[in-house]
Amino acid sequence: MSQPKEIFVKTDRCVGCRSCIMACAVEHSASKTLFGAIAESPRPKSRVYVEWVSPDRKVPLVCRQCEDAPCMHACIAGAISRDADGVVRTDTDKCIGCWTCVMVCPYGVIGRHLETHKAYRCDRCPDREVPACVSACPTGALVYQTVPDYSGAVRKHASRELLNAEGG
Amino acid sequence: MSRDRSQYVIVGGSAAGMAAAHAIREKDARGTITVFSAEADMPYFRPLIPFLVSGRKQPAEMALAGCGPYTGGDIDIRTGAHVSKLDADARCVVLEDGSCHGYESVLLATGSRPYIPPDIEGIDTEGVFALRTLEDARRMAARLARTRHAVMLGGGLLNLKAAFALLERGVKVTLAVYSPEVLSQLMEPEDAALIRQALDDAGLSIITGVGATGIVADASGVTGVALNDGRALPCEMVCIGKGVRPNVEFLDGSGIQVEEGIVADRHTAASLPGAFAAGDVAVTYEPVTDNPVMTALWTNAVEMGRCAGLNMAGHRTAYGGTFGILNATQVAELPFVSMGVVHTGNGPYEVHRKTTATTSRKLVFNADGARLVGAVFVGDITQVGLYRYIIREKMDVTPFKRQIIDHRLHYGHLLR
Repeated sequence: MSQPKEIFVKTDRCVGCRSCIMACAVEHSASKTLFGAIAESPRPKSRVYVEWVSPDRKVPLVCRQCEDAPCMHACIAGAISRDADGVVRTDTDKCIGCWTCVMVCPYGVIGRHLETHKAYRCDRCPDREVPACVSACPTGALVYQTVPDYSGAVRKHASRELLNAEGG
Repeated sequence: MSRDRSQYVIVGGSAAGMAAAHAIREKDARGTITVFSAEADMPYFRPLIPFLVSGRKQPAEMALAGCGPYTGGDIDIRTGAHVSKLDADARCVVLEDGSCHGYESVLLATGSRPYIPPDIEGIDTEGVFALRTLEDARRMAARLARTRHAVMLGGGLLNLKAAFALLERGVKVTLAVYSPEVLSQLMEPEDAALIRQALDDAGLSIITGVGATGIVADASGVTGVALNDGRALPCEMVCIGKGVRPNVEFLDGSGIQVEEGIVADRHTAASLPGAFAAGDVAVTYEPVTDNPVMTALWTNAVEMGRCAGLNMAGHRTAYGGTFGILNATQVAELPFVSMGVVHTGNGPYEVHRKTTATTSRKLVFNADGARLVGAVFVGDITQVGLYRYIIREKMDVTPFKRQIIDHRLHYGHLLR
């Protein structure tokens, strides 16, 4: 089986521009254009969040697709399942808006859609090669790679730093 | 193995039992799994049954099979199968018809049943329900046609959900609550104020501080409820929601340790070899206080059942325990979450409350203020999962206590 890609977050690269939030909301709108999305009602919702920590650190947060996903097991309506690509999905038709998933998500990345009374979350943009948030990030703070590729890049970077430190 | 012997036997086909069965199947593709379920229906999402009363869902839409994590195959589910005895020496369960079914390991997940107060006269009358099973919901729905007014005895979450289902069907509903306020198990009266307001606005009629003494009936079934304040409420339906009791009677004489429920250790094992316990029937522990605890929550039962399943399949896994109180839901457009220590009274806690016109929250810290031990959120439940995590991990909250009190906490604060 080929390795699935994950969304990795490099918090040190985030400048807090919120391009990811905008792109996510547009991707999850009916029109899929910024112009159309702004006019839509209910307003399209972003599933990625950028939080701020004092003194000035920005932290993009997105569903981690937990291996032992608490939300999936906690759901009292059977609305949350993992698809063949490893993505944890909420079936909006089955969701009854009891918010049990919100209560158990340790990352706080499941939203409540008040107009439709349904939970919503990152769906990894099933219609796209690369999730919209990752495509939109101008600083490379969001990375879409397989675990081996990502950890390989981290190792390569670390070795370069080590060599530099040694004066190599 | 023959049909009267399985590697894994699971007694109880609801949340804990089925979560265990699927967890076993994840780890062991071939071991035989047999589930004995006393109910006639195939396993279903029990919390959805009020939707059968409201008419929003049909039984087929509540089925467990194939939904969420319940996708494992080759699990032999026997419905209508009452296990009447556990013979741990012979390693078998005995069914009502006297037949035996052997096991290498067994999960006792028989759940709980509604508590029916023994002091209410005429409680067996037709039209008196305790909504627990899909069959109960069917019978309740069948009586809707002749029901104009329903009286709910008990102000807990189950009765509230049933009450709203009945309201949707145009039934007038009165909630008779013995406690000073609704949801008394989940929060103190002060914290329930907004919810009470929302319930009143939604058209529920609520009487607090009263109990029922008897059911009035004629040939058509229930015609009213007599209350202990001398009043009699005419009605065609009564719903009892006074908590649950664990189903442990089949273990009489088995030698297994039962203290109200089946005592489970940190790895979900019961006191006899090869036996495990999970769900409403199990006594586990509260991670904050380390006290023994029994809960009746789907989410807890699944979590513990999964853990038991992993242990049965040979993957030794510790269970993290559960809060005595852990609930999220929405009643009358108002979401709320209650978790951990929420009944503070005059106890040794540091309590922070904040109330606005549409939201309220209560954050409970231990006496020295360094640990969060409980929380109630009404109206705004944004990111409440973080608080559960913090309580459960007994984190030192000093670095982000202000954010907790202001309900501005996010995961970024937990990153070093």
